[in-house]
Amino acid sequence: MSQAFANNINSFNVSIFNATDDEPKILAWLSPLEPQVRHQDICDQRVDGIGSWLLETKEFRSWYNGNENGETDHAALFCYGNPGVGKSHIWYERRSVRNQE
Amino acid sequence: MVDYLCDQAVEQEMAVACFYYDFASRGVQSPTNMLGSLLKQLLSGLGAIPGEIARKFRGQKKVIGGRRLRLPDVVKMLADVSSLQRTFICVDALDECVLKHRVEVLEALGEILLRSPNTRIFMTGRSHIRGVVERGLGGRATSVLIKPRDDNIVTYLRTRLKKDTTPEVMDSGLENDIMKSIPEEISESYVASGVRETFVSCTTLTGANVDSYWSHSRWTQS
Repeated sequence: MSQAFANNINSFNVSIFNATDDEPKILAWLSPLEPQVRHQDICDQRVDGIGSWLLETKEFRSWYNGNENGETDHAALFCYGNPGVGKSHIWYERRSVRNQE
Repeated sequence: MVDYLCDQAVEQEMAVACFYYDFASRGVQSPTNMLGSLLKQLLSGLGAIPGEIARKFRGQKKVIGGRRLRLPDVVKMLADVSSLQRTFICVDALDECVLKHRVEVLEALGEILLRSPNTRIFMTGRSHIRGVVERGLGGRATSVLIKPRDDNIVTYLRTRLKKDTTPEVMDSGLENDIMKSIPEEISESYVASGVRETFVSCTTLTGANVDSYWSHSRWTQS
């Protein structure tokens, strides 16, 4: 854990509770839902490269990067469209993104 | 998108949580459960439970066999945990959230954005809820129209043809028709149903048993 992160947690005024035994119970208590199951389904159906154009839009870049201070007036990005256009399957090609870095 | 953000999170100090609405699961996808699920994912990433949450758990455990949190408590905790590091929250198919819950969820997400400036929210949904989303988040949302591009349709078709589970009813003529007709004729509104309709028209063109082919394929189920 970095020092900055540790300071953040201290400023949140929490004591880190060593919940070795209780952590699973606490997590289950917070919600019975497990969205990672649906996420895996989506991943399995995805086709690489579909929807990668979204990453190049000014809306996405502004939302993701913000200004030079990381701030943005639009902290939420809503991708809308008709049924079946692939909103849930927006994906990118790992290779092409890495090549741009 | 979630995986893109997760890849970034591995390399940087940031957190990602996601939620997928499903109308068939509307009975259990209450705002408290939905936001609690996001909180649960963020806490899993932290690897520790903040003392405030542990204390709430211990207190609630004593009553009614473990009373659940109220929505304002979950929202406050989620805002607090989100503010610990750069956080991305992804919510898919917001239109499948029942109306009265959608209003509550948007209000909660708006509050989290106010209290946690480093948090970003990514949402998807059908066009008719765009106004509700933008209003619900008090002008803090920007919108992008998602529509299939020709090259994406071709890529998708080629990939699905490679995974064809009933190759015996496919021939080069039908395959050529599919690759030619669908990108030309498909409506930008309905990829899946457009593919289905074009398949039916190919029956006439080729004489192939497309309905049999179709009934065995899972092309339109994603």
